[in-house]
Amino acid sequence: MAKESILIVDDSEMNRSILTDMLIDEFDVTEAEDGEAALTILKEKGRKFSLVLLDIVMPKKDGFDVLAEMNRVHLIEEVPVIMVSAERASAQIERAYELGATDFIMRPFDASIVHRRVLNTILLYAKQKKLLGIIEDQIYEKEENSRLMVDILSHIVEFRNGESGLHIQHVRVITEYLLRQLVKKTDRYPLTEEEISVIAMASALHDIGKIGIDDKILNKPGKLTAEEFAVMKTHSMIGAKMLENLSVHAEHPIVRTAYEICRWHHERYDGRGYPDGLKGDDIPISAQIVALADVYDALTSERVYKPPIPYEEAMRMILSGQCGAFNPLLLECLSDEFVRIRDMLVRDTNEKAARHEIHNFAEAVLHSKGRSASERTLKLLDYERMKFNFYAELTEEIQFEYIVEGDILRLSPWGAKKFGVETEVFHPAENETLCAVLGKDWFASFSEFFRKTTPGAPDFHIECEVPIGGERRWYKLIVRSFWSDDIPPRLVNAIGKLVDVHDMHTMVNELKELSIRDPLTGLMNRTGVQEGIERKIGTFPAHKYAFAVLDIDFFKSANDEYGHLFGDRVLSEMAERLIHSTRAGDLCARIGGDEFLIVFEYNTDIQPIIARVFKALCGKVDDFELTVSMGVVEMTDASESYRDLFRKADIALYVSKRSGRAQYTFFDPAMASDPSLTSMVADRFEGEEGEEHHDKK
Amino acid sequence: MTIRECYAALGGDYDEVLGRLRSERLVQKFVLKFPQDGSYELLLTSLAAGNKEEAFRAAHTIKGMCQNLGFTALAATSSVLTEALRGGDLAGGEALLPPVKADYERTVAAIAAFKESAGL
Repeated sequence: MAKESILIVDDSEMNRSILTDMLIDEFDVTEAEDGEAALTILKEKGRKFSLVLLDIVMPKKDGFDVLAEMNRVHLIEEVPVIMVSAERASAQIERAYELGATDFIMRPFDASIVHRRVLNTILLYAKQKKLLGIIEDQIYEKEENSRLMVDILSHIVEFRNGESGLHIQHVRVITEYLLRQLVKKTDRYPLTEEEISVIAMASALHDIGKIGIDDKILNKPGKLTAEEFAVMKTHSMIGAKMLENLSVHAEHPIVRTAYEICRWHHERYDGRGYPDGLKGDDIPISAQIVALADVYDALTSERVYKPPIPYEEAMRMILSGQCGAFNPLLLECLSDEFVRIRDMLVRDTNEKAARHEIHNFAEAVLHSKGRSASERTLKLLDYERMKFNFYAELTEEIQFEYIVEGDILRLSPWGAKKFGVETEVFHPAENETLCAVLGKDWFASFSEFFRKTTPGAPDFHIECEVPIGGERRWYKLIVRSFWSDDIPPRLVNAIGKLVDVHDMHTMVNELKELSIRDPLTGLMNRTGVQEGIERKIGTFPAHKYAFAVLDIDFFKSANDEYGHLFGDRVLSEMAERLIHSTRAGDLCARIGGDEFLIVFEYNTDIQPIIARVFKALCGKVDDFELTVSMGVVEMTDASESYRDLFRKADIALYVSKRSGRAQYTFFDPAMASDPSLTSMVADRFEGEEGEEHHDKK
Repeated sequence: MTIRECYAALGGDYDEVLGRLRSERLVQKFVLKFPQDGSYELLLTSLAAGNKEEAFRAAHTIKGMCQNLGFTALAATSSVLTEALRGGDLAGGEALLPPVKADYERTVAAIAAFKESAGL
């Protein structure tokens, strides 16, 4: 994107260069050393500037002179002006505002304030221009439908009349010019923008009654007889009747206005017209104006019965009263607008005229007081803003907006309070409070999130721990980025919120913890231990591990003999012994009814460790002689799966059992090729899933 | 002599100006430019010639520059002078000139000393 242009006007070279230095990185800066130089530059390329920074006290022409001239040529409406001055007298400030200045920057300058004000003003004007465009489009769309209907009807008439296809169009534009000039000239006819637009549009229907006139009369090349003329004169009443009979739409402003125009566009200001002989302002202003526009265009156009009359001559004829009697005010308007009307008639085009009218309307609406579309839009925007602020204040979410250009972070009130900063933070990366609260490099991590978004996928969210004021809590960060239309697109700003999910997160963690634990013994369950092993081996694949699977011998009969409660006690006792006999780095789990798993991490020799643990596990629980059968396998390769290891340990366990229980056996590769063992273990594996459910009751 | 010492010598507030302009380089650049500005000479000649408007503008410009540069002492005296001249009080202006003169000379002298010690 090209840099925005700024004009700096100040008579002190030093003041200019201070401002230039502050802005040169981001803007295209032009300097003018006094008001006169500024006006010369503005005259040449005024609209090119996005902003003028203007000093007040200057030689030759001062700041007020510049403002006045910008008003005269309407430049002030398009190019915002910020006054820069040491003047603190409120009269001066007031005068500058009255002349259309947008803002004031007091000397001495503060770099960040200058920067910020300049940027805000440019953004604001850009938004307003965009808004103007939106309103134009909406009006255009809305009117397009009515216009289409009017055009179709009026062209039917034109076609039958054998008039040049442009008559309707011309009458419409002349009508509009005259109306605007009239409103400017006098308060006698207080017409709103909308009414002007409606009259101009309805003017197209002025001759619609000619549909009811015989072709022969309508298109007769020579002069009409008195009889024929009497028939011709009925067209105004016919048109009015047609519109009156449009029962459904009769109350529509266009239809009502068209009715006035149709019926009375042949009345004369002196009362000698037809059909009703109305006089002076008894004739509605709409009909008066269309009558004049109709006559002027008819004179200057070619007809079957006459050649075109030159514009100046037609003008003279009308003013001298040769072509009827008109409201003197309207004749003045016609003289005033003569050049514009002539130029328009010369280079008329359909589309241009339509667009032109809309632009005038939109602009007038935007600048007029009272009810208007723009105000409504702005009000709505304002309302949305208030609503947003209201919700933002209620919620305990940290909402934020980061504006890349300008490096500004905006925070919701709650967020600002939480961080202990203002709701707007400039250069947030360097903000000491934020760095203290969020940690020194917070901005780097923050912008990393933005970099993960693209114009196609602008949303991003993550749960992360954020240290706010030294306390680490879990937050959910949700970010949406906005991109420019440039190629390649630039990140323009990003909005998002930070929601405290710490309590939820803690709860989820607790639930997760619960889900991997066996409720009876507090040991890990099968899922838990599998995750634990995989994590452990994944982290330290070079360490030595051994798997031990063990069963409590004759647990079933203990259960049967002493009852389930006692059975549970045996299991709990077993868990206690496991925890006490293993080391902190080892994993212990209850993986089935009376089946346990230990994963040992060891350095040198596993044999003595197994011997010690085996011994510690066995021993009386009340009258029950608790012994275990154990199968052990050493992990030889980190790529071996949990299931493989488990299976090998299980085979070894089966060997222990088969050899009379109450002993441990190390897995030997030879066992894996013994079908009597492998088939047993395979069966056990298959059956196990169901067995586990069974045991939970 | 450092830029900070220069400010101390001319009766200015270095921290304030650095806070606003945000760069020592910029402050130094503008401070060195100050003696080259013709407003002071313009003030003297237009006061001597009795040109009220020109004298007011010159005083006003000096005041503005001093505010921007944080030359507190000269900003204060030139501000008083500016207000007198704004009302068209030429005699009052003449009377208020000596303190401006003293502060201006002190300021320019401090800048010259800084410039020399910095080898610029």
